[in-house]
Amino acid sequence: MRQRGFPLFPLVRHTLLLAWAAVTLFPIYWMVMTSFKQAAEWVTWPPRWFPHEPTLVNYVKVLTPGTSTFELGRQTLKILKPIGDSLIVSGIGSLIAVLLGSALAYSWARFGTGGRSYPYNILSIRMVPPIVIAVPFVVYFVTLRLLDTYTGLILVYLATSLPYVIWMMLAFVEEVPVELERAARVMGASRWKVLRSVVLPLTASGLVVTFLFVFILNWSELLLAMTLTNTEVSTIPIQLNKFQSANEGRDYGPQAAIGTIATLPVVVLGFLIQKHLLRGFSFGLLRK
Amino acid sequence: MTAAGAPGAGRLRRWLERERVFKWLPFVPVQGLFALLLLPNFLLLVYLSLLSWRITRGAWWNAAFTGLDSFQRALEDSRFLWALARTFAFAAVAVPLELLLGFGLAMLCRRSFRGRRIYTSVFLLPMMIVPAVVGYDLSMLLIDQGPFNQLLSLFAGRTVTVRWLSEYTPAQLAVIGADVWQWTALTFLVFTAGLAGLPEEPIRAARVMGASRWQIFWHIELPLLKPVIAIAVILRSMEALKMFDYPMLLTQAGPGNATETVAVYLWRVGWEFARVSDAAAMSLILLVAVAMYILVAIRVLRRERRRLTEEGAV
Repeated sequence: MRQRGFPLFPLVRHTLLLAWAAVTLFPIYWMVMTSFKQAAEWVTWPPRWFPHEPTLVNYVKVLTPGTSTFELGRQTLKILKPIGDSLIVSGIGSLIAVLLGSALAYSWARFGTGGRSYPYNILSIRMVPPIVIAVPFVVYFVTLRLLDTYTGLILVYLATSLPYVIWMMLAFVEEVPVELERAARVMGASRWKVLRSVVLPLTASGLVVTFLFVFILNWSELLLAMTLTNTEVSTIPIQLNKFQSANEGRDYGPQAAIGTIATLPVVVLGFLIQKHLLRGFSFGLLRK
Repeated sequence: MTAAGAPGAGRLRRWLERERVFKWLPFVPVQGLFALLLLPNFLLLVYLSLLSWRITRGAWWNAAFTGLDSFQRALEDSRFLWALARTFAFAAVAVPLELLLGFGLAMLCRRSFRGRRIYTSVFLLPMMIVPAVVGYDLSMLLIDQGPFNQLLSLFAGRTVTVRWLSEYTPAQLAVIGADVWQWTALTFLVFTAGLAGLPEEPIRAARVMGASRWQIFWHIELPLLKPVIAIAVILRSMEALKMFDYPMLLTQAGPGNATETVAVYLWRVGWEFARVSDAAAMSLILLVAVAMYILVAIRVLRRERRRLTEEGAV
């Protein structure tokens, strides 16, 4: 390999990369630090970069059981139930989406079911801004009595995750050698047996990655959740938005605690699937 | 093994084994879902847009037709048109910035060096954070007496107080900044993968023939990166046009309507103002505005994918 002509290049590179790393870490650092600060240190001039007396009080406050109330200008923030709701809705929605979507991806990859354009049609539906369907969705869900229910939100997340699942699983299914499946068929295995003994083991990691990917998307979703729920079901992003728009008495500490709690699992999951993150976004357009 | 003794079980298994049944099996629930969830919604959207219905006015099926009135109102609503224009403008600023930054960072991290993995992991962090949290987080940094102004003061050598959240242009920059901060991670990821996937032979051949680094980049690498660039542009511009979370949590779409994107405004028309029919008409206008874009995006995706599979077959 030819040497770089410019001797200072490593230095320049590290300077630039460090600069962007600082830009990236600064907001995350600030949120985590604020979540450990006492109320007196939330807003000061000059701002405090370290909590002088680190405290868990913010976490205790938001994690005690109960429901959030907004009374007399005072808000109490309780997020145990929203965490549960988020887990239920994103978990079940993503799970069903992975089951259906991967089966569909397999069927399309092997038999071309639905025609050549089918995945593209599904994808183009997904590209429509969600606000477009949000308006009639409310009216539709009120009529069906699905507004503010788990079932309603799960159905919506199922529909919005399916395109991603199909496209991600297409990439994984296309890597399964067809010859292997044919060989198994010739040896007398049924289609279902092939699916279970050949395809499933070879795409298992893909299924996990896909599930985590759409789970992250659903966990983060705000607009549709906010539109289609009210008091019965409430996800973490909704709660954060509620606290933020209730202007009086900005509770920086508890909000930062909620932000940190909401971020942590996703970052962990994200790092687990770091190598595969792109598949969900690349629509099969990436050379391996 | 399983109880195959039941007379129905064997027949069911044979039925499930037929190719026609097997391959259509996953299609039924998926198509059913779309047919029951999205199709009625679209029809309802069109229907609602032809009424003048508000949530407060009885049942929607009793509301009278008013034809294209809501469309006329929408097109005369300057706040709507501004929100639409603003959304495209934000995307036009944020997306190129994300592409350039992501590409630059990916180029810098292209060859292995000490610390590369740490940098890569750090750069990917933002895209794993819930967008609503990003909006909220930045709102904390950008308060008048916040750490961001402190840093600016440090660099400027005097006290600088930019009112990021309560002045027109700074607030718009803040929202664009939130998008750039979070999604440069994605363009970085896309370009890193793209650069890693470049075939070696043409580059080596060009080098042997004495091409300069710049010529190689411009005439060989960049054309080979076309599909990757296409992904990045399509993904980011589609998402940027949906922008909702940042204005909601960072600036509450203010000050005034300075950061009100079309998604936020439609949400307000539909829920805060309860003008459902107007919101429906605006939604349809928005749909038409992005439909052309979607068609082009899908066409590009198809073309690039076909090209890739043909290449793979050779």
